[in-house]
Amino acid sequence: MTIKEKGYTHWDGEFQDKKFPWWPITRYGIKLTFRKKFFKLFFPASFLLAVFFLAGIYISERLDDFKSMFGESVPSLQIDPAYFKTYLAGGFLLFIMLIMVIFCGSGLISDDLKHNALQLYFSRPLKKRDYFLGKTAVIVFFLFLLTLVPGFVFIIMKMIFAGSFKFFLSYPWLPLSVIAYSVLVTAFFSFYTLFLSSLNKSRLFVAILIFGIYFGSEILRAIFYENFHNHHFSLLSISANIQQVGAVIFNQKTPYPIHWILSLLVLTAFCILAGFVLKKKVKGVEIVK
Amino acid sequence: MKPVIETQHLSKWYGNVLGLSDVTLEIEPGITGILGPNGAGKSTFLKLITGQIKPNIGTCFIKGKKIRNNYPLFSFIGFCPEQDAFFDELTGWQFITGLLRLHHYSPAERDDRAQKALEIVELVEDKDRVIKSYSRGMRQRLKFAQAIAHDPEIVVLDEPLNGLDPLGRRKIIRLIKSYKGEGRTVMVSSHVLPEIEAMTKKIILIHQGKIFAQGDIHYIRDLIETHPHIISIKCSDPRLLASNFIQEEFVLNVKFSSAENTLLVETNNRDKFFSLIPSLSVKNNIEVEEITSPDDNLQAVFDYLVGK
Repeated sequence: MTIKEKGYTHWDGEFQDKKFPWWPITRYGIKLTFRKKFFKLFFPASFLLAVFFLAGIYISERLDDFKSMFGESVPSLQIDPAYFKTYLAGGFLLFIMLIMVIFCGSGLISDDLKHNALQLYFSRPLKKRDYFLGKTAVIVFFLFLLTLVPGFVFIIMKMIFAGSFKFFLSYPWLPLSVIAYSVLVTAFFSFYTLFLSSLNKSRLFVAILIFGIYFGSEILRAIFYENFHNHHFSLLSISANIQQVGAVIFNQKTPYPIHWILSLLVLTAFCILAGFVLKKKVKGVEIVK
Repeated sequence: MKPVIETQHLSKWYGNVLGLSDVTLEIEPGITGILGPNGAGKSTFLKLITGQIKPNIGTCFIKGKKIRNNYPLFSFIGFCPEQDAFFDELTGWQFITGLLRLHHYSPAERDDRAQKALEIVELVEDKDRVIKSYSRGMRQRLKFAQAIAHDPEIVVLDEPLNGLDPLGRRKIIRLIKSYKGEGRTVMVSSHVLPEIEAMTKKIILIHQGKIFAQGDIHYIRDLIETHPHIISIKCSDPRLLASNFIQEEFVLNVKFSSAENTLLVETNNRDKFFSLIPSLSVKNNIEVEEITSPDDNLQAVFDYLVGK
């Protein structure tokens, strides 16, 4: 059969790698999250804790004014690394982060599996690495808004309210702690969420898994501890491990009398396992009939 | 002519299940039909040549370059999967532009390409409707649109006519045929011979993971014509009809089906057989309710080729 060249011109040039091939996936993921009705309510509310802590920083600098207004009964408020740890590694922020990843992350891979979309991605100039990067960046975006951004805002506002660099000079390592903790907790939650998202096609089921495993691990820790009175069972709890490592990062006393390295190992092992499963789960669609 | 797609000893298996076995072939520009029954390995072959899955053995070259992990090369390929692959909550427009983003076009070019693709598949008027409200035919056309929106040189279509009504089929066939003269390479898979026949004369016959034949469709057609056909007839008096059929030379076998009043006839001359039915029906006052061909003609050809 003769093929006549009519409208199409063959292109023999060299294609170049795009700089951020994952960005469209991230952009779409963020956009889709903001489309969710309940997320529109939750998103501003998730910053209330940060606002509360920011108010604490302001009050700490105006303590004398408050004392003159309310008398000496006003408790003193110390802004130090412990204050940052209380915000960043506190159970309430971890809970907010959990809800955040349920909103932004539960459907990241499960929706693609449900819609058979992996073949649409992987038949395009997109590496598997870029796919994961794109999905991870969605979670990173939202979790950094709750950790890294408030952490730095606190430091900057503390200096602005105080009108000096004294705070920074007293704790020059604190910005690094904020970065390290934010990266650690975000990395963990990214792996945790993407791993669970790759296990099922139902976003709702994944959301239940995200919630259930997190709190289930804590319940398990409590049950074992009550029965055996051994603090090593805190290694079973996701939040306990994060708080344990968080305390070390902020140079504070660990909440459980076990070595923090063990908690870090548990979190790292989970991430490695999750990464391995993700690699296996997210691949070109193979049909066996 | 220089082959656009070239495979060398391409093999793929899933555990103990053989997907594709030792496929070596060259595909030139034009439309090539991949023909084979369900589970023959068509989808596996198409996924291997589009670099989506890794072969266990062998290599696939697109324009002389290895396709596996050669991601920039994927820009040359437009892939239309067999299964529905949509984000139902998106509109047709959002779906196409969203996928075009992965090719990193400027917003203006992206919109332009999406518009053109939707024009080609005649979905412009429905582009702002959510995909879940689309009919089966519209969804198939949208799938086709996403495959051609980036103007690929190689278009790979996996069972694009599946589940379509005759009008929908005609539309898709017309679209595919419109690519014929443009110097592109189009690969279409199907398990229905007339579908492929309507689009191209070049076919690759695939069965149980192996390439059985490659070339002109007439060869396959001839095989079908000379191979016995089974025809099922539901009528008011199958025994009387059967007694008439067995006198004919081109009737090889007559059986009574378990279904009520149904006769199964094996013939090696379908045309003569069909022309005989009306006269027998009138002559013997037999009311014929239904005539079907329960055997898959293509399957019969494969059986013939493997010597069953």
